Amino acid sequence: MKKIFYSILTCLLISCGSEKKSNNEVNLYSQRHYSVDKLQYENFEKLTGIKVNVIKANADELIERLKNEGENSPADLFVTVDAGKLYKAADMGLLQKISSNVINSNVSEKLKDVNGFWIPITYRARILVYSNERVSEDDLSTYEDLTNEKWRGKILVRSSSNAYNQALMSSIVANNGAEKSIEWSKGLVQNFARDPKGSDRDQVKAIAAGQGDIAIVNSYYIGLLLNSEKEEELNAGKAVKVFFPNQGENQRGSHINISGIGLAKNSPNKENAIKLMEYLTSKAGQETYVNNSYEYPANPNVSPSEIVKSWGEFKIDPLDLNMLGQFREQAIRIFDETGWK
Amino acid sequence: MEIKRIFKLENKSWVLGSVIVAILVLLPILFLIRGLLKIEESDLIYLLNTILLEYTLNTFYLIFITSLFSLFFGIIPAWYISKYRFYGRSFFDITLYLPLAIPSYIMAFTYSDILSFTGPMQSFLRTHFNEISNIFNLDYLQIEVLGIILALALYPYIYSASRISFSLIGVNYINLSKNLGLSKLKSFYKIFIPLSKPAILSGLFLVIMEVLNEYGAVKYFGVNTYTSGIFRAWFSMNNIGTAIQLSIILLIVVLSLFYLEKLMNAKSKFNYSVNSKRQNLRDLKKKKLLLVYSVCSIPVFFGFFIPLGFIINNVILTYFEIDFNQLYELVFNSIKVSTIASILIIIIALLFLFIEKISKNKINHVISQLISLGYALPGAVIGLSLILMVTSFNKMFTSLSIIGSFYLLIYAYVIRFLAVGKSPIKSSLDKHPDSYTDTAKNLGLSPMMQLKKIYLPINKFALITAFIVTFIDLMKELPITLILRPFNFDTLGTQTYEYAIEEMIPLSSIYSLSIIIISSVMLLFLKNIINKQINVPRG
Repeated sequence: MKKIFYSILTCLLISCGSEKKSNNEVNLYSQRHYSVDKLQYENFEKLTGIKVNVIKANADELIERLKNEGENSPADLFVTVDAGKLYKAADMGLLQKISSNVINSNVSEKLKDVNGFWIPITYRARILVYSNERVSEDDLSTYEDLTNEKWRGKILVRSSSNAYNQALMSSIVANNGAEKSIEWSKGLVQNFARDPKGSDRDQVKAIAAGQGDIAIVNSYYIGLLLNSEKEEELNAGKAVKVFFPNQGENQRGSHINISGIGLAKNSPNKENAIKLMEYLTSKAGQETYVNNSYEYPANPNVSPSEIVKSWGEFKIDPLDLNMLGQFREQAIRIFDETGWK
Repeated sequence: MEIKRIFKLENKSWVLGSVIVAILVLLPILFLIRGLLKIEESDLIYLLNTILLEYTLNTFYLIFITSLFSLFFGIIPAWYISKYRFYGRSFFDITLYLPLAIPSYIMAFTYSDILSFTGPMQSFLRTHFNEISNIFNLDYLQIEVLGIILALALYPYIYSASRISFSLIGVNYINLSKNLGLSKLKSFYKIFIPLSKPAILSGLFLVIMEVLNEYGAVKYFGVNTYTSGIFRAWFSMNNIGTAIQLSIILLIVVLSLFYLEKLMNAKSKFNYSVNSKRQNLRDLKKKKLLLVYSVCSIPVFFGFFIPLGFIINNVILTYFEIDFNQLYELVFNSIKVSTIASILIIIIALLFLFIEKISKNKINHVISQLISLGYALPGAVIGLSLILMVTSFNKMFTSLSIIGSFYLLIYAYVIRFLAVGKSPIKSSLDKHPDSYTDTAKNLGLSPMMQLKKIYLPINKFALITAFIVTFIDLMKELPITLILRPFNFDTLGTQTYEYAIEEMIPLSSIYSLSIIIISSVMLLFLKNIINKQINVPRG
């Protein structure tokens, strides 16, 4: 008995130490953890023989890890679902500039980092969905209009600790200034149907349940809901329609955010890292994204999935996406001061 | 004379060894405190002025609700099962432990799905009883609902503590209560509850700690607690200094709680008079049967079978999307790290407690208290403190990168869960009189021999219990694994969480189901051990 116990323990301990090391690899610190990512990395490995190693965690934790590891960091690439976090990493001096003509020609001009520290791979819009029974499309116009008295008790949105809401608020601050943003937040809080809670999907369900009429959600989640395994969830998805705000002639367009990649300052496998970014933004890589998720492709030559396409084209807020990081702290303070929980 | 000297010397080396291990365990926390000194600007005042009060009040309220329901779900079934004989008693005695196998955040996600507008309950009502379906169309994401859900996941801590205690209280006390002419209800309040207070309080302490550390579920329910405040300062406001300050405040509060519990327990120190006869199980009156069945089945069904059924249904729905190779790998990973860390934790905990016992000096007593500190910190903060520590060492010896190695991950687990493994061993050791040590000394046994010949055998059950409890906690562990894990390393917990936060609950189900199955099997073992200890005579 004892012998068995000891031998099991030894085996376990040994198995901990013996991580296979290969030289032809690229190391990712990633906030993304969708099934499509795994598929992408497998495809890339098949194509190039370069092994993709991934650590998945919260973006801020990964930044902390990067910062503390400094020169010893094994990380080559930092992958996020928020331009704000890429800005933060670049701002802390954790990234280096990316120069690749291939990537440059792959991705859409509008989505690029003006400073060249990160590249976009996909993007998503933070849009409105509304009850197709109780709201008419003509009544909807802009994010700003959501504070209108007619929406008292009708607005649904998740908590302010959510990064997508923080990015949205940052974009409002960047576009309209702090004062107007405070007013906006106050007005919106007044119009809340309930305290912010749940996921984006839950906001849509709450519309179906009649607890509110309009929800602020990411486009991505509507796609998920419309492809649910459960009939009841499909019905909830069908009870709402999608609306892209701020599309008017003099209006700035809908708020978007990218999922993107930064090149770590001390990247030990820089060449492989660039290769991976080139692959992910290539036509093949981008098609894998749109076929397996509901994100918009960063490569303008690839069109999004059928469901996403059916919502139509829309005007994008041209704001420099680095602002989403730069105004983050101010956005949080506005949330706290105006009672957006 | 000669023997005595050697003994003393050996003792010293044991003490020295324990001090070194203690330093290793406490070092990351010291680095956290060191971080406190380096804070340049703090948002603490800002947080105090805006959200911190609300967050703190929410925390107290949530703790209150969870504690209340945990006590209700735990104590009453434990009472009936320890004292009465009724049909189905053994079934409940086994299953009442099982909700512990379900991580609390999975419980929360599952229930919010079950209760939601598109969930089975409301859809059923809409199809069959459309008239009344509106009554149940409510917003269930409320702090009170969350409190009850957490209680369903956590009450087994209280159940197991009171179950053991109630069963061990000897027949003398029952006779006493009879002689005093106390009614059954009165003897429950006047005798059993006070006598079991230390056990119940220690269970309640674990419940409170779990609520304090809860992050995923509270975030989902939109309930901001103190721990959410720590993460708000760290992640959203980008101010690690403030996050550390908040963590240290939490640490101090928990320490005071800890001492409060100790103080209260010290007052009511009591020995389950080992020699007094155990009482026999009594028959239950027919009219009470219904009541007993409902108090026993509510926690079991709502805490285990309903969420389990829902999860299994999800697994069936997504069966063809399951990647079994990956599943096996994750099962192996989870079992591997949980086993290694649990064994280490037990060895270390036993070492400290044993040395405290044989050396009887103050330092060791204090050390053995201090090493439990890690349990008071949220997992992510422990991860952070380890990163801070390792990197400042790395600056000294720049060669190797320790972050992202298994050793660091397991190191973090040990710090976080040492208290969990320590507690069953400690209560077992406390039951044995000091005379064992003295006798052993007189017989000239070295500390090693004492450990081998006396303490290991007589605490065998406690050691196995400690292993199982720690193992289950590690199976469910999430934040430390997320922040410290090596490349390409997933556990069942991380995979469940990744799908769940991306709102793909059905796909996460096979992984949570695996956690539940493995933990349930371990709990069944635990149940067996507990029964051997209580050794309730049947009939």
